[in-house]
Amino acid sequence: MSVQVKSHKVKVMEELLAKKLTRQVVASLVGCVHCGMCHESCHYVLTNPDDPTYTPSYKADQLRKIFKANHDWTGRVFPWWVKASTPMTDDDLEALKDIAFGKCTNCRRCTFNCPMGVDTATLNRITRGLLSAVGVMPEGVRVVSKDQWEIGNQMGVLKEDYLDTLEWMSEELEDELGHDRAAIPVDKKGAKVVYAINPREVKYDPRTIKNAALIFYAAGEDWTMTTEGWDQTNFGLFSGDDQLGGICGKRVYEKVAEIGAERLVISECGHGFRSTRCEAPNWAGVDVGFIMESSVITMLRYVKEGRIKVDKTRNSRRVTFHDSCNNARSCGFYEEPRELLRLVATDFQEMYPNRAENYCCTGGGGAMSMSEYTPRRLKSAKLKADQIAATGAEVVVTSCHNCVDGLNDLIKHYGLKCEVKQLVDLVAEALVLEEPVVEEKPAPIEVVEPAARPAEKAAALAGRRILVVDDEEDVRTFLTAVLEDAGATILPAKDGDEALAVAMREKPDIITLDLSMPGKDGVEAFVEFRKSPETENIPICIVTGHPEFRKVIYDRPVPPPEGYMDKPVQEEKLVDNLRRILELKDRKG
Amino acid sequence: MPQHEPSTLLSTVEIIHWLALAFMALVYTIRLFWLFSFRGTKDRQPPGNLKQSTPMKGAIYSLGNVAMPWAMESTRRGWLFYLSFVIFHLGVVAGISLAFLSSLDRSLLEIPAVSTVMMVMLGAAFAVGVGRIIRRIVTPYLRLISSPDDYFSVILLTVWFLVGVFAQAYIAGKLDNEMFLVVYLLNTSFFLVYVPFSKISHYLYYPFARFWIGRTLGHRGSFPYSRG
Ligand code: SF4
Ligand code: SF4
Repeated sequence: MSVQVKSHKVKVMEELLAKKLTRQVVASLVGCVHCGMCHESCHYVLTNPDDPTYTPSYKADQLRKIFKANHDWTGRVFPWWVKASTPMTDDDLEALKDIAFGKCTNCRRCTFNCPMGVDTATLNRITRGLLSAVGVMPEGVRVVSKDQWEIGNQMGVLKEDYLDTLEWMSEELEDELGHDRAAIPVDKKGAKVVYAINPREVKYDPRTIKNAALIFYAAGEDWTMTTEGWDQTNFGLFSGDDQLGGICGKRVYEKVAEIGAERLVISECGHGFRSTRCEAPNWAGVDVGFIMESSVITMLRYVKEGRIKVDKTRNSRRVTFHDSCNNARSCGFYEEPRELLRLVATDFQEMYPNRAENYCCTGGGGAMSMSEYTPRRLKSAKLKADQIAATGAEVVVTSCHNCVDGLNDLIKHYGLKCEVKQLVDLVAEALVLEEPVVEEKPAPIEVVEPAARPAEKAAALAGRRILVVDDEEDVRTFLTAVLEDAGATILPAKDGDEALAVAMREKPDIITLDLSMPGKDGVEAFVEFRKSPETENIPICIVTGHPEFRKVIYDRPVPPPEGYMDKPVQEEKLVDNLRRILELKDRKG
Repeated sequence: MPQHEPSTLLSTVEIIHWLALAFMALVYTIRLFWLFSFRGTKDRQPPGNLKQSTPMKGAIYSLGNVAMPWAMESTRRGWLFYLSFVIFHLGVVAGISLAFLSSLDRSLLEIPAVSTVMMVMLGAAFAVGVGRIIRRIVTPYLRLISSPDDYFSVILLTVWFLVGVFAQAYIAGKLDNEMFLVVYLLNTSFFLVYVPFSKISHYLYYPFARFWIGRTLGHRGSFPYSRG
């Protein structure tokens, strides 16, 4: 009979667990009575009623078992009596990964429903941390964590791209306002406020940076952004890696201290706010000497103090508010967003349940980076989709970038007729500037940046040659029509092979690339474009109906694409994104 | 005036019961030292929302949560379960009172009203216990998370409640067999010795778990929590 030996990884995990045990954690480990009261508080349970493995205490028991086997006297003497056990093999760890990362978003809803005060979400995060420490984690989490460790931000945004984007946004503001006084200050020593953002804003949603800049300008704020330590997000929260969590926090804190600012304003991001404001001082073991606040609080303060004026009638569509789990349950941030929302929108409809009892958007806990669990995530999103549909809202407002992605995904999946916005967008929309604005009306905020006016529109891509790759003829025709209207010349291709041949021959200025195609698909073609010296410098904008492929693309050992858009694309958004990418390329020469 | 003079057997069992209690107290003390041997944590971040809460407010709210079934969705929606929880735990209080009063001041238990209340509490707790055993066996997710200790603990307590009803009936003079009380006290003694090694010891940890989570979330402003 062979005796099973614990794998090296398991031994390392057990040693690490001992270091992670605090009184509070141990109380949660020993305090569960398996009463099942938390069962129906979990969105996974409610959408998978026949699968008992989604029950919160089962997930927490995965850590509890290891704890009992190693630290609890009954568990050590009579393990079978209290179900104490440890994983033995690396396959066991893979199974554990599937539970800790794939069946829980660490939303803390069950914690708030446990009569014993058991913090299941924290226990699950510890399990993730143990697994991450031995390299067992979803690929997406590994890649993003690596970027955060090595490049300093979770999306691997290069410094020049970040600065280019800030410059581009400053120029946009200058065009709109007719002067450059609203330009985004960078590394301004002695500024009172440092504004830290989510790299997603640089990569996919720069209008939020522009909107924030406009609001700071209107409020007469003495503010700055920074060249380093600008990423307020923190994958340490998701991976359970306290060390990474501490490092990320410290990067931001040190930069704020270097500027000498009184206040760090954190853009609307639930996990970023929670990490930077509430967790990282503990992970890093530092006491922070300046004020840290969410931009929601900042904007609310500006309105209440009369530093900015808003006209709520500019946001007259019905809006509802989705509480980010991290903002609400983990940071007590319940009323301020609602107060602000009521000041900038006319028709606010609560969704139920809300605040501390709100359901996760299902994109929490880093779920958006774990594409292997997408079907599970979308299934569990039914609950949120029903919640939103019941409000009849046309706009779902949330103060979290993860939630924006999670909600957008479920809105598309369940065919809801609404869009997602952040408070910064609504405040910017409602902002009444004392001075005349060059544009006739405020930029429509449903596009990535202000839509080009008709006269400009035709010129937006004038002279550009665009390779449009998509296997669906309808889509190719649509994209061709939109881009030709903007002045571009189109080179169509229906699959990866044809696209490569056309690109080699014609050397287009930019490529729009579908991912899911018969024959050579978009992912393969993307890698070949990047690897070939003849095409490696051609910018590529992915246009796909599979947002979950994002990870697949960003995992490739080649530079990431310059743009990434989900289908169906909005015409203006497409034109503007391509224009922006081309302008950045031109600037870099 | 007591209706029964304690026999030598009963007196011996009473001594065993007190020894079991002393053992439990000792093991509990060790358990508490064990819990406190782990690192304490400090919330370094500044308070989250002083208008909304403080660590102390959060901790008090958290500790009081047990008496506020409206506060949590789980108890609000599962009011029947909450009710059963109350009955079950009142049964535990009755059972412990019975064990101690039977040797300290049995005359109190002989008062008819007290006797009736005790029997009703123990009987109701027994019924709830039976319901809990069935629920644990037939509910798939509970079966999945239950260990032998979970089953044994609820069965142990349920039997204890039932024997308690008979022991109380004996003390009240409604039954005439001292063995009911002897078995009850032996059952209690076993229970006292077993508890620190089982999940029943949750009541030792419970106040700490609730205090700490309440303090942490109170510091952040999310406890007491708001809902809608
Ligand atoms: S975590 Fe809490 S609610 Fe859930 S089974 Fe354990 S004790 Fe009960
Ligand atoms: S933390 Fe959220 S997702 Fe995880 S088990 Fe609890 S309720 Fe479910």
